[in-house]
Amino acid sequence: MPQPSQAERARPSLMAQLNPEGTLPPAVAIEEAGLDRARLVDLYRWMVVIRRADAEALNLQRQGELGLWGQFLGQEAAQVGATLALHPDDWIFPSYREFGMGMCRGIDPAAMLYLFRGLTHGGWDPATHHFAPLAIPVASQVLHAVGYALGCKFDHSSQVVLACFGDGATSEGDWHEGMNFAGVFKCPVVFLCQNNHWAISVPLEKQTAGRIAERAVGYGFPGVRINGNDVLTVYAVVRAAAERARRGDGPTLIEAVTYRMGAHSSADDPTRYRGDDQLAAWSPRDPIARYDAWLRAEGHLDDARAAAIRAEADVVAQTMRTNLVNAPVPPPSQVLFDRVYTSPSRTFQAERDEFASTLEPSE
Amino acid sequence: MPDQVFRLPDLGEGLTEAQLITWRVTEGQQIEINAPLCEVETAKAIVVVPSPFAGTITQLHARPGQSVPVGNALVTIRSSTTAGTEEAPRRGVLVGYGPEATPESGIRRRSRSAPAPSGPGAEDVRAAPFVRQRARELGVDLARVVGTGPDGRVTRSDVEAAAQGSRVEADGDQRISVVGIRKAIARQMLRSVTTIPQFTEFAVFDATGLLADREHRKQAGQSVTPLPYFVRAVVRATRDHPMLNSTWDEAHDEIVVKRAIHVGLAVNTPQGLLVPVLRDADQLDLQQIAARASELIAGARAGSLPPRDMTGSTITVTNVGASGPVETGTPIINPPECCVVGFGAIRPRPMVIDGQVVARPGAWISISVDHRIVDGALATEFLTTLVRYLEEPVA
Amino acid sequence: MSTVTLAKALNAGLRDALAANPRVLLFGEDVGRLGGVFRVTDGLQKEFGEERVFDTPLAESAIIGTAIGLALRGFRPVPEIQFDGFVYPAFNQIVSHVAKYHNRSGMALPLTIRIPYGGNIGAVEHHSESPEAYFTHTPGLKVVTPATPGDAYGLLRSAIDDEDPVIFFEPKARYWQKAELELPVPHVPIGQARIAHEGESVTVIAYGPTVETALQAAKAGEAEGLSLEVIDLRSLVPLDTETLLASLHKTHRAVVVHEAPVFGGFGAEIAARLSHDAFDFLEAPVERVAGLNIPYPPSRFEKLYLPDVDRILEAADRVVAYA
Repeated sequence: MPQPSQAERARPSLMAQLNPEGTLPPAVAIEEAGLDRARLVDLYRWMVVIRRADAEALNLQRQGELGLWGQFLGQEAAQVGATLALHPDDWIFPSYREFGMGMCRGIDPAAMLYLFRGLTHGGWDPATHHFAPLAIPVASQVLHAVGYALGCKFDHSSQVVLACFGDGATSEGDWHEGMNFAGVFKCPVVFLCQNNHWAISVPLEKQTAGRIAERAVGYGFPGVRINGNDVLTVYAVVRAAAERARRGDGPTLIEAVTYRMGAHSSADDPTRYRGDDQLAAWSPRDPIARYDAWLRAEGHLDDARAAAIRAEADVVAQTMRTNLVNAPVPPPSQVLFDRVYTSPSRTFQAERDEFASTLEPSE
Repeated sequence: MPDQVFRLPDLGEGLTEAQLITWRVTEGQQIEINAPLCEVETAKAIVVVPSPFAGTITQLHARPGQSVPVGNALVTIRSSTTAGTEEAPRRGVLVGYGPEATPESGIRRRSRSAPAPSGPGAEDVRAAPFVRQRARELGVDLARVVGTGPDGRVTRSDVEAAAQGSRVEADGDQRISVVGIRKAIARQMLRSVTTIPQFTEFAVFDATGLLADREHRKQAGQSVTPLPYFVRAVVRATRDHPMLNSTWDEAHDEIVVKRAIHVGLAVNTPQGLLVPVLRDADQLDLQQIAARASELIAGARAGSLPPRDMTGSTITVTNVGASGPVETGTPIINPPECCVVGFGAIRPRPMVIDGQVVARPGAWISISVDHRIVDGALATEFLTTLVRYLEEPVA
Repeated sequence: MSTVTLAKALNAGLRDALAANPRVLLFGEDVGRLGGVFRVTDGLQKEFGEERVFDTPLAESAIIGTAIGLALRGFRPVPEIQFDGFVYPAFNQIVSHVAKYHNRSGMALPLTIRIPYGGNIGAVEHHSESPEAYFTHTPGLKVVTPATPGDAYGLLRSAIDDEDPVIFFEPKARYWQKAELELPVPHVPIGQARIAHEGESVTVIAYGPTVETALQAAKAGEAEGLSLEVIDLRSLVPLDTETLLASLHKTHRAVVVHEAPVFGGFGAEIAARLSHDAFDFLEAPVERVAGLNIPYPPSRFEKLYLPDVDRILEAADRVVAYA
C-alpha cells in the first residue's frame, strides 16, 4: 500500500487546475487556509465519526430499521473538507448522499435517518442548519442552489452557497441550466461535484466524454479538478472558491475526484457491474487512512487519541441507533395532511377530518 | 431478557422474499450487535444480514436453500445488555416494508363494519337515477312498467302513472285506479246528486258595464280578471237573498242560514278539481277580492294551501263553458251548500236592444239550487238580482 | 409450464421482441450492464450486444428525445425511465413531441416508453408515484399497464409492435408476483380489458397494482355474500368502455380503484364516462377508491394512503346499500 509522499504530506496536492487565463494559481498553504492543530484533528474526527455512522446505518437497513440506505463510504474527505471550509451560515444544497455533511452541520444523525425510515420526507429545519432537504431527482437541487445564491446577491449578503452533486448529475439538463445561469448572473455559488466514478452501474467514461471540471469554461467561470480524497485539498480549494464567491467574483466548479466504495444503495448489487480490481486500486487512496498517516507524521495524532476518537464515533453510532429504533411515530393525520398547503381549503380540511375518522383510536 | 425474534426485512425496495444461502452463526452462539448472521439472496443481490441484537442464538428458523418470505422469522436471540451500550430494542418484531408489511397498531385503519347483504342489480330496465328514486318513493316496481321514453326508457310520468294504478289490459282496455283527489271528487259529486234535489236556472247578462269598469281600472294601472266581478256580484246578491247562503240540516229538519259569506272558487289543477275558499268575501272590496282570489288559485295549483283555506265555503262559484263553442252547463252543488253559480265566458252575443239585434259582450250564468230550501221563484229573484249587480258593477 | 414473476415475464417479452425485430433497441439508465434496477433487462445486453441494449448518461429528457430521433430513423426504440418520479424531465419531450409528431408530420413514432410506477414498496420520495393521468390526458399517446405476469408479456409485445407511441407502466409492487406460465403467451390487444373475476353485484374497475387488491377484496367479499366483478383495464388509452358497460348492465354499480390521488385522477374520466353512457343503469353514483389528495406520504404511512381491501369493500357496501 503506497504511502503519501513527503511532498504530499507537506501541502495539499492539486491534480490539475484550469482557469480562463490558463494559468495555475499558487498552491494554498495550510496556515493560510486557517488550519491550526485543533482544526486539523477536527477534520479527522469528523471523517471517522461519519464513516462509523454510515456503517451503522447500513446495518440498520439490513435489520429492517431503515427501508433504504445509500452509503457514502470513501467520500468522507470530500464531505467533511467542504463543509468545514464554509462559514456556518453559508447554505448547502445536498443531493441524496450528503449525510456526512449534514452531520458536520450539527443535524442529529437519527433525525436525518427518519427519512430513510419512512417517517418523514424532511427531518430537520433547513433554515436552522442552512442545509436544504435531501434532493433525490438528480441535479434538481443545483437550480435551487443557484437561485438561492442569486437571492444572496440581491440581498448584498456575504453568504455563499455550496451546490453538491455527483458525476451523473452533470448529464442532466438541470445541471447545465444551473451552471449557465450562475455564470450569467455571477452567482455566489460553489459547484462541488463529488465525482465518485459511478452513477449506479454507469461508469464515468459512459457518463461523459469530456472532463467535468473543463465544462466550467464553457459557462464562463473557472473549473478545478482536485483530489477529492485529500481532505486538506478539498478544504483549501472549497475555501478559496467560497472566498471568490464572497468577493463577488462569481461561481467556481470543483470536481473532487473520489470513489464510491460501497453500493449505490442497499438495493444495489455492485458485483454485477464492477470487479474487485477497481476497489483494490482505490483502497490505498482511502481518505481517512492517508490523513491518519499524515497527522501522525506531523505529531497531531497518536494511538491514544485515535482510539478515543474511535470510541467517540462508536458512541455517536450507538446513540443514533437507539434514537432511531425508538423514534416516535407521529400521528398519521399530521404526517399526511400537514404542510400540504400553508392555508388549507375547507374541502381539504374536510378530507382530513374524513380520513381521521377512519382510523382506529390510538392506544 | 426475553427472546427476541428477528424477522426477515424487505432488503431492497419492495422485495417479497429472499433465499437463505448460508448461516454465519450456529445455535447457542454468543454474538454482538451487527455481527453477521447469514447471507441471503434476493432478486437483486446477495446480502449479508447483521444481527440487531446482542445475545445468544437460541433458534435458526430457516435451512440453507430455503426461500423465506419477508416478515417471516429468521432467528431467535436471547438478547443481553452489553456494558456501556443502550438496551436492545424492546420490540420483538421489526417492521419491514414492502407489499407484505402491515401498519403498526394504533395507526391501522378501522376495519369495515358488518356489510349489507346484496343481490344482483335490478333487471335490465332503462331508467335515469332520479326516476328510479321516484319509483322507490311511490312503491312502483320498475320491471312492470312499460317505458315510453327514448330507447324504451321509463320516464317519470310512466312511473307516476304506474303509481296511480293505470295499466293496459290484454284487450286494450285501460284500467285506472281511483285514488286521492279523484276519489274525493267522486264521493262529493255522488253525495250531492243523491242527497240534494237540485235544479238549474239560466240567464245572460250584458257585460258592457263590467268591461268598461275593467278598462277604467286598467287605465289606472289595476289589472283585474272578470272573476272578482263575478264574486263581488254574487256576494251582493247573497246579501239581498240570504236564503241562498244556507245549508239543509237533515238531522234537525232545519235550514241553517249562514251569516258569513265564504265563497268557494272552483279551480282546475293538475291534481284535479279543487275548491279553495275566499273567506268573508262580503268584507272585501273588488280589489281585495281580486288579490285574494289570485293567491288562492295559485296556491291551489301549487298544492300549498293549508286545510283552513280548503274548507268552510258557504256558496261556490265555478266556470261553466269557459272555452270553445260551449255556452253553459248545469253545475252540481258543492255539498252541504245550497247554491252553486256557474259563469260562462264573456264574448260578443246577439242581443235585441230597442228592437235591433246588436252584438254586445255578455255571458251565460247558470245557478243550481237546493229545491228543499229554494223554490223557482226565489231562484229567479236571486238570478235577476245577480244580473243587475253584474251589469252595474261597484267597487 | 414454469413459475414466472412479472419481472421475468417482462424480461422474456423484451428478449423475444429484440430477437423478432432487429430494429428494436433498448436503452436507459443502468439497463445494460446491470440489467436494470429491478433486473427486468437482465442478460439482454450480453445476448444482443451494446448496439441493441445500452446504458445512457443520466438524462431523462435526452433518453426520450433521442428515442424520437432514432424512431424517425426507422428504429423501434424501447427506452426506459428508471422510476415514475423521474419521468418529469422527459415530460416536455413526451407531451410536446412524442404525442404530436405523427399529427404534425405524418411520420409515426413506434416508441414504447417503459416506466415502473406505483407505491407500496417502502421507498423514499419520488419512487412511488402514479403519474398516468398526465399521459392519459395527452392525445396521441397510448397508455397501458399490465397486472399479471402473462399480461406483462403479452401487452409488452403488443406495445412494441404498435406503430403509435405507448407509455408502458409497470406496477413495481407486483414485479415479484408469480404465475404458472408457458411463455410465450399470445399478444394482448391494446384497448381490451379483462374480466379478472366474475361477479353479480358490483363492478370493480382497477388497473396495474390495484387489480390484485381488488381480487383480494372480491375473495373477502365472497365470504360475506358480496359478489364483486373485477375488471382489469389493462389499457387506459384506448379505454375499453364496451366491457365496462356490459358489466354495468349486469351489476348497475361501479367502483374504480387506483393509487393516484383521487382528485383529477384517471378514475374521474372513467366515472364521467360511465355516468354518461350508463346513466340509465346506475343504481348508485360511481365510487372512486384512490390515493388521498396529498403528496405521496413517507413510506411508514403509505398503507393508510393507498387503496386497500377494506376501502374497496366499504365502497362496495355503499353502492349496494345506496338504493
